[in-house]
Amino acid sequence: MLEIKNLHAKVASSVEEEGTEILRGISLTVNPGEVHAIMGPNGSGKSTLSYILSGKDGYEVTEGSVTYNGEDLLDKEADERAAAGIFLAFQYPVEIPGVATMQFLKTALNSQRKARGEDELSTPDLMRLVREKSQMLKVKPEMLKRPVNVGFSGGEKKRVEILQMAVLEPTLCILDETDSGLDIDALRVVAEGVNALRSPDRAMIIITHYQRLLDYIVPDKVHVLSKGKIVNSGGKELALELEKDGYAAYEVDAA
Amino acid sequence: MADLDTIERVKEIEVDKYKYGFETDIESDLAPKGLSEDVIRFISAKKGEPEWMLEWRLDAYRRWLTMEEPSWAKVDYPKVDFDDLYYYAAPKGFDENGPNSLDEVDPELLRTYEKLGISLKEQEILAGVRRQDEPSKLDDQGLNIPKGAVAVDAVFDSVSVVTTFKKELAKAGVIFCPISEALRDHPDLVKKYLGTVVPVSDNFYATLNSAVFSDGSFVYIPPGVRCPMELSTYFRINEKNTGQFERTLIIADKGSYVSYLEGCTAPMRDENQLHAAVVELVLLEDAEIKYSTVQNWYPGNAEGKGGIYNFVTKRADCRGDNSKVSWTQVETGSAVTWKYPSCILRGDNSSGEFYSIAVSNGRQQIDSGTKMIHLGKNTSSRIISKGISAGKSSNTYRGIVSAHRKATGARNFTQCDSLLIGDKCSAHTVPYIEAKTPTAQFEHEATTSKISDEQLFYCKARGINEEEAVALIVNGFARDVIQQLPMEFMAETQRLIGISLEGSVG
Amino acid sequence: MSIAIAKTPAEEVYADLDNLPDGFDDIRKQAANAVAKSGLPNRRVEEWKWTDLRRIVDQAYPPAIGGDVAAEKLDELSALSPFGNIVGSRIVFVNGVFDETRSQLPKNISISMLASADKVGFSLRDGDVIDALNLAYASDGVIINVAKGVKVEKPVELVFLTAPDQPATITTRNVIRLEEGAELTLLETHAGHNEAYVTNCVTEISIADNATLNRVRLQEDGENAIHLSNTAANLGQEANLRDFTFTIGGQTTRNQGFVTFNGENAALNMSGSYMIAGKQHADTTLVINHAVPACESRELYKCVMDENARGVFQGKVIVARDAQKTDGQQSANALLLSEGAEFDAKPELEIYADDVWCGHGATSGDLDKNQLFYLKARGIPENKAKALLIAAFAAAAFDEIENEDVREAFNELAQGWLQRREV
Repeated sequence: MLEIKNLHAKVASSVEEEGTEILRGISLTVNPGEVHAIMGPNGSGKSTLSYILSGKDGYEVTEGSVTYNGEDLLDKEADERAAAGIFLAFQYPVEIPGVATMQFLKTALNSQRKARGEDELSTPDLMRLVREKSQMLKVKPEMLKRPVNVGFSGGEKKRVEILQMAVLEPTLCILDETDSGLDIDALRVVAEGVNALRSPDRAMIIITHYQRLLDYIVPDKVHVLSKGKIVNSGGKELALELEKDGYAAYEVDAA
Repeated sequence: MADLDTIERVKEIEVDKYKYGFETDIESDLAPKGLSEDVIRFISAKKGEPEWMLEWRLDAYRRWLTMEEPSWAKVDYPKVDFDDLYYYAAPKGFDENGPNSLDEVDPELLRTYEKLGISLKEQEILAGVRRQDEPSKLDDQGLNIPKGAVAVDAVFDSVSVVTTFKKELAKAGVIFCPISEALRDHPDLVKKYLGTVVPVSDNFYATLNSAVFSDGSFVYIPPGVRCPMELSTYFRINEKNTGQFERTLIIADKGSYVSYLEGCTAPMRDENQLHAAVVELVLLEDAEIKYSTVQNWYPGNAEGKGGIYNFVTKRADCRGDNSKVSWTQVETGSAVTWKYPSCILRGDNSSGEFYSIAVSNGRQQIDSGTKMIHLGKNTSSRIISKGISAGKSSNTYRGIVSAHRKATGARNFTQCDSLLIGDKCSAHTVPYIEAKTPTAQFEHEATTSKISDEQLFYCKARGINEEEAVALIVNGFARDVIQQLPMEFMAETQRLIGISLEGSVG
Repeated sequence: MSIAIAKTPAEEVYADLDNLPDGFDDIRKQAANAVAKSGLPNRRVEEWKWTDLRRIVDQAYPPAIGGDVAAEKLDELSALSPFGNIVGSRIVFVNGVFDETRSQLPKNISISMLASADKVGFSLRDGDVIDALNLAYASDGVIINVAKGVKVEKPVELVFLTAPDQPATITTRNVIRLEEGAELTLLETHAGHNEAYVTNCVTEISIADNATLNRVRLQEDGENAIHLSNTAANLGQEANLRDFTFTIGGQTTRNQGFVTFNGENAALNMSGSYMIAGKQHADTTLVINHAVPACESRELYKCVMDENARGVFQGKVIVARDAQKTDGQQSANALLLSEGAEFDAKPELEIYADDVWCGHGATSGDLDKNQLFYLKARGIPENKAKALLIAAFAAAAFDEIENEDVREAFNELAQGWLQRREV
């Protein structure tokens, strides 16, 4: 499904000096139905990986390839990737004043459907769909009238990210530090929302610093990212080891 | 209500607490009163200048004759009678070479600087600093300069009395001397850069300055050199009916760095005196200049009698890529201030900063601000201005931020805050914003507020008296700027803000 | 400067006293003489720094009154008004003359026409060339008086259609008076054909104690038009003025606003939006005078400039010596959509009282890249994402309008603008 081969990338900027490579040869295969956790210390390149997969400007891939369902992913614009089924739950969801959340969801869903050659969803059908998913994630209806992420608390922002995921039904979900800034109750609600979306034809990549989230969303595979490389891979027990021993060992090895 | 009384008292109490208002009793050589080509020839001859410099001055004078005094600033003052001024005054006995050592300087002059708290004796400075510091040893540039020592160029009326640490600085390749000396010893450097940042006919006062400037400092930092000590110039106006027209030129060559401090005071006199300076900063690739000013010219008395007219043109030209200039000013003195230290951001990725505290009390009038002209790509600028008005003063921030078509990626952030103490003063904000490229991101914010009764009460409830409370609150208000000052000026500034507002709070 | 410079063709016709219409003879002559003396302001006049009127009025536009316009043309221009279903009555002017057949006059309001009024106490605003030109050449306009306590239920629309058969200056002057406790919603549509003309429309507003005026203007003048306007308002105690201007049309627009607070606890909201492109130029210049204590003023302008359009905002808030407890906030935001677009702003504060809460903000930039990426990451194509963000930007200004139907109508106009621009 997702095939990352020897991916090298750096920040694309005229100002920065050459050679600040952030990803230094990542290879990873994710199959339908699998949940992969990518863990690593700050600055290891976790968020960069999520941005490169979802198509954010400002990064330059210097080597390697990424294919999604056999197609070259790196060639596509961010919206084309979204239409192809890739969803990034942002670590810091962006505030968009003046655009109501409901209007935003409708535009996003119908743009994707149109790109895939499907019929657009009527407003009543969409409202029904969104309302149903909102209840599960404890998102109050009046929040949907408010502008996207404006004035939302940290927990509200993350819940609305997962709500968007539920409405847009992507095939690959990338969750970037979704647990950051959440208390234990909010974490549980978010995790339940994510778990409800687990299915045999949907894959997930969960990017996190801490093992905590993985108590609730149990991964099939865990990878340790350090200094732009995957330095270890294993089952869910690897996350527990990390929790106990920290990243120190990897930081030395990877240097 | 007690707090309201405080504010009431602010308006009543005399402002005459100027601490530097004494006069030095010393005989002076004066140019004939008034302005003419002959006076300009007199000044040029006194300085022993090359012929081209005289021609430059005369050209400026002829242009000045065709110009009109600017009237757009929000200041109102009796017109200067340019024929009733002395354009040159020097302590007797100064010839074009100046004194060779401190021993030749009139002790009365040295006492003046002592009273002002400026030490001109290198040995004393070294001793003073060293007592708190490590024992003397040569640093990595082979220099014998302890941390915290400051080189001083002391300008008294129209001449430089002495410049300290010249020899030590020369070892690092740094040139620090009066501009009249630079004209003799480094004419090519002066000729190459003088008037290239502030052109001769830039504005009325700059043109006047170009015609009659007498002294000021010249600094050249060679490529790659980090100036081993802070440089400073201390300006003192002493003589009656005299204008001071200093000219400062600082060149930071590729990859160099210098921090420069400037201080100014004058005696208390009933008549107004004119100070029309020009400061030019040139920054080549990767160079950085920090320029800090504490301006404490005599502000006049509470009725607005006397005080300095401070009409100054200061501009930095970031010619080289990645160059960086920072202006920090603390304006507490002068009867009328007309001053806009500016940055021409020509080099790609160059940046300019303007941090300002302007305190006005009594009948002072300040019209000050900055210009940030974005020309190169990815240039950035930052303006933090804190205006504090008390008494019957008027305090205006006036500034321009502009990005030209090709200045893609320009960034500016401006924060202009005004604080009013009492209801007889005024505060104005006049920003101009010109964005000629969509990729420029400009953000401008301004606020006006007063010291709240709650704040005053809270301080008083903690045992702080009204005067201290106001000083405390104002210093807090100006904190973002005070933090930008070099260590030497930080404590001085906080004290000065307190003193400047002293008249205002009893 | 006392150097005599040759008059431009426009200055020649404006200074020609033979062009003056009948009536208001004294004040007309006084005004025309003021224009003859000052000429049209150029960019060296501080208030006109970014809008060089002398250069902009590039040919003689002789003052004109009326003239035949084809009925289809007028129908077409009338159809530009989006307020059809919102208003209860409408007063239409064609080339500066009241058109009775196209108007439906409101009831319970005293309405008269300037052309037939014999005495209105006008005075000349010092140094204001738009006002002087208007006083000299005003051909008609409406005088509305809402009596004490009358709350006019349905909005009243003023329509100004301009299509002179040759380049001309069309001048109208309106007087809106609200007596104590009165309430009125006034909608204005300005539209015209695509040939060159100058339209000069001045509105004098006085709002007595506790009265409320909601005013919304839509400017859809033709693509070669020069639109000059003044709004001069005086507010009594606890009076309320909401004034919104949406500028889409015209080649050059200069909207001036002069508001003076005469009674305490009054409130002003003066806002607007530009959506301009091509070589359009729109300028809003405001002077808000807090002459008395405890009043509140709010200004919010959202300006969208595409292609080589230039937006200008100058807003001055003056707080007089004893106008304590003044609350004045001003904000101007620009969105530049293309390489050649430009925004110039001068938000000014002039404060003589200490117990005030005043501030202003101004921003300029292009679309936020993070917002754009977020939208794209949700599958919204770039063009659509941009349109969404631009519409949201403009809508933030429309939110200042109280009438929901008007807000809706403006959002649709904004959508239409975006579609035409193929953003």
